[in-house]
Amino acid sequence: MNNLSNSPILSVSDLSKSYQEGSKSRDVLQGLSFEINRGELIVLLGRSGSGKSTLLNMISGMDAPTSGSIRFQNTDLTSLTESQRTLFRRHSIGIIFQSFNLIPTLTVEENILLPLELDGSVTPEQRKKALDVLDEVGLGDRNRSFPDLLSGGEQQRVAIARALAHDPMLILADEPTGNLDFRTAEVVMTILERIVHDKERTMLIATHDRDIIGLADRVLELREGVLHEIDPTSYATHQSGSLAG
Amino acid sequence: MALSILGVAVGVAVVVGIDLANTSARTAFKLSTETVAGRATHALVAGNGQLSDSVFTSLRVDVGYRDSAPAIEGSVRMGAPDGQVVQVLGIDPLAEEPFRSFTGGPQSNLNLGRFMGQVPAVLLSEPTASRLSLSEGSSFSVWKEGREVELVIEGFLPSDSDLDAAALDNLLITDISTAQALLAMPGELTRIDLILPDSPADEAVIQEIKSWLPANVELRAAATRTGTLDQMTRAFSLNLTAMSLLALVVGMFLIYNTMTFSVVQRRPLLGRLRAVGVTRREMVWMVLGEAAMIGTVGSIIGVAGGVLLGNALVGLVTQTINDLYFVVRIRELDLSMWTLLKGMAVGLGSTILSALPPAREATRTSPSMVLKRSTSESSTREKIPSLLIAGLGLLVLGAAILWLSGQSIAWSYLGILAVILAFACWTPPLVLWGARLMRPVLGRFFGIIGRMGASGIEQSLSRSAIAVVALTIAVSATTGVGVMVDSFRTTVNTWLTYSLEADIYISPPGDVFRRNDATILKTAEESIRTAPGVAEVYSVRTARVTIDGRESDLIVTEPRPRELEPGRYKSRMSGDHRSAMRERDVVMVSEPYAFLYNVDVGDTLEIVTKTGPTPFEVGAIYYDYASDLGLVQMTRSRYDIHFDDPLVSGLAVYVETGLDPSAITEDLRTRTASIQGLNIRSNRDLRQASLDVFDQTFTVTTVLRLLAILVAFVGVLTALMALQLERSRELAVLRANGMTPGQVGRMITVQTSSMGLLAGILSVPLGLVLAWLLIYVINQRSFGWTLQFQIDGAILLQAVLLAIVAAALAAIYPAISMGKTNPTEALRTE
Repeated sequence: MNNLSNSPILSVSDLSKSYQEGSKSRDVLQGLSFEINRGELIVLLGRSGSGKSTLLNMISGMDAPTSGSIRFQNTDLTSLTESQRTLFRRHSIGIIFQSFNLIPTLTVEENILLPLELDGSVTPEQRKKALDVLDEVGLGDRNRSFPDLLSGGEQQRVAIARALAHDPMLILADEPTGNLDFRTAEVVMTILERIVHDKERTMLIATHDRDIIGLADRVLELREGVLHEIDPTSYATHQSGSLAG
Repeated sequence: MALSILGVAVGVAVVVGIDLANTSARTAFKLSTETVAGRATHALVAGNGQLSDSVFTSLRVDVGYRDSAPAIEGSVRMGAPDGQVVQVLGIDPLAEEPFRSFTGGPQSNLNLGRFMGQVPAVLLSEPTASRLSLSEGSSFSVWKEGREVELVIEGFLPSDSDLDAAALDNLLITDISTAQALLAMPGELTRIDLILPDSPADEAVIQEIKSWLPANVELRAAATRTGTLDQMTRAFSLNLTAMSLLALVVGMFLIYNTMTFSVVQRRPLLGRLRAVGVTRREMVWMVLGEAAMIGTVGSIIGVAGGVLLGNALVGLVTQTINDLYFVVRIRELDLSMWTLLKGMAVGLGSTILSALPPAREATRTSPSMVLKRSTSESSTREKIPSLLIAGLGLLVLGAAILWLSGQSIAWSYLGILAVILAFACWTPPLVLWGARLMRPVLGRFFGIIGRMGASGIEQSLSRSAIAVVALTIAVSATTGVGVMVDSFRTTVNTWLTYSLEADIYISPPGDVFRRNDATILKTAEESIRTAPGVAEVYSVRTARVTIDGRESDLIVTEPRPRELEPGRYKSRMSGDHRSAMRERDVVMVSEPYAFLYNVDVGDTLEIVTKTGPTPFEVGAIYYDYASDLGLVQMTRSRYDIHFDDPLVSGLAVYVETGLDPSAITEDLRTRTASIQGLNIRSNRDLRQASLDVFDQTFTVTTVLRLLAILVAFVGVLTALMALQLERSRELAVLRANGMTPGQVGRMITVQTSSMGLLAGILSVPLGLVLAWLLIYVINQRSFGWTLQFQIDGAILLQAVLLAIVAAALAAIYPAISMGKTNPTEALRTE
């Protein structure tokens, strides 16, 4: 397990999200508070509909909370405009989706360079770094291929490379093995673990696959809108303590 | 749904609008013809255009036939030399009663003494009088051929008559002698109306009348008059209809696109329905049922829009008919139920037809495939070889139809449609290859946004290709018609340059620009011929005579100081045809005349002269663009031998060398002002006026071209809206990866503008092919004109820019809308 810097890169405080359904208001997340430190691999557990994706959406700035704050070091995400949040996401967040979500009209190389290209021209160094990441995930020779020629596992590895290529502050992964068979999922998880622990990246993985817990530095679980921290080593005993405020 | 309905509505509106404008012109003509013909079954008319009123006296006294009434028809302008044109009908109130009820019948309190007296008196409808703020007994002035005449309102036309109020609205009724003076037709009639018995037993009466007829007079059935309009405006109406159908073809692509859009929108639902056991057949019916609903609502709105459009277009159509053929005034649109029903049927039919492919698209795949977005794209790409072959087949079919259709214009248009569809089939592959070529170029200029914009076209080929097809057809129609009109204009301009060689042209104000048979008063003519500074003058007379049994325009000319160059004739007899025309009964015919009536050099035309039908040899066929109905030209010397008509319709004046034509023009105006109001124009002014009329006649075409572009614009918009739905997830992924709303908008704009550029580029060859077909097939088969094929690079460039601008404008709303894509969609699992 990683014991690097203890300085939090993300501080979530008293975060709540509710949706209006007709005349009623439905609370999805209620008063969540937690921190993520640099170099940590955090697993976020929860059943379908527990609010995992909603939490990731808000951390990535794609959605705004009803109340509470999300701070990335010195940046208060909740005080930014939509456009500023988009630029923040482009520079500081990498996202890995369950269904890979590669852009079919772009080659593998173009896909991984996408966040950099959206920011303007790509320097040779940035390009080299991005291709190195592609090498890291074992697809260095497939940079000219289009996504539809790759297997599911390969596509997810490209998606991982895309999330890493611009060297983001935080990587968010939403059910990264959800669409993969067991063996492929194992390969993908090994890569993710190596990336975090060898390359000192920070990652939050939302999943309902409890087999991933073994890789985690910390495990958080969303139950009925409330976040609980679980001790990964004694997970079997299900001892937990509420982090809710 | 709203876009689908809009698509159908715009297509239907164009077709209905044009149809209504055409029908209204036809109805107005028919109505006024029938009104003045009344209950007459036949009419006596003079083939040489000169029917003496003594013929009427002879018919009544010598033959003893009483069911006859004389009539003079003409037109005057109200209030001013260029005022509104109204029809004048001169009648004999004593002979009228069996024919028309203008004078109110036996119970009428019309004062015949005053109506037939010395002071020119007229009857008109009460609504017309009140519109002009005139009351019974008041007087007003009218203008005829530059002369002002004061008329007194003797009474109103009976309002309880069976005559249509619209027909009476445009009509002045006078006594025969008043009309003769007013229309400068002393001792002449236009026709003598007859009511002939139709029983076989009375055949003898008809035979008696026929045997009595003077040589220059013939007996015609009244019905033949209304047929004239169809004959005169046949090609004009057909070409307008073809343009409206072109808009419908573009509209059909649009409907196809909107229906596909509608299926795309419901694809997840359709997939679920298939998954829970709805059969393919049931699904087809469901989609077609929806199409029928969209078609019905769209057609109803389209028909309503067509009525509005028709109201706007009828003025342009009327103006063209007035300039080219005859005076007709349409006050209101004739809402023919047939046209409205036809519009409904066209809208509904084409919607259902266009919905068939999307209905199949939605149903033929397995339930799981229906849920996948990429299916239709890969199937489109798989279809490319078939599309190329189908395009080739259609091209061969189109060429075969054009080759084998003889002179049929309708079949020619069908052939052109096949050629257009051939291009439509080739468009998807060309769009695919074009987008691939553009990718690196756009990437160089716009980076990833450019590359994705170009790839987006390829990725959504089934949508983007249809939008490009619609835009290509609309823009190529614009290019085709533009090049055709430009070629036509250049040809006409060249023709005017060599035809108009005199310095000054003089004519009385006429009602129809291209057929001015008004006459110049003898005193005015003398004053012009003897004016100082005038070196030479030659006259032109336009007369309406019967040639080979048809009413045609005869152009009578004095010898010109300089004759036309040999290259201005299509063909000529051996020897000097000009001297032959002076010495013998030889005429020459214009190119459209030769084409329309299949006449060649050496043929004989039978022209009704004062001595009856007289044979004239055709000595030459000359190029002429003044009339699409054809002209026959005769020398003045032969005309004076065969017709008792010393008048002239126009004078061409050559100014003495060294003098300023504009000073002489002013002088001639002053000299003739007190005699007759004449149009005295310089060579340049007349040429400009002719070109202005030319341009005016194509205004309606321009409007239709714009409408076709509008239809295509909606098509692009619809395609983009479909793309937005199809690519919502991809857009969300892009947004999640840091693409800003502005970048999304730029990407969509680049993609759409590229589609516009492709459509613009593809429209150039198709536009040139269409122009070639319009000039060498449609024009040839409609009018028989020889036109120079003129390609103006500016028109082609305009077409490309038009396509890009139309596409870019269509992108505005979708670009903004797609920019607002919620990135959280990307995290939603399928």
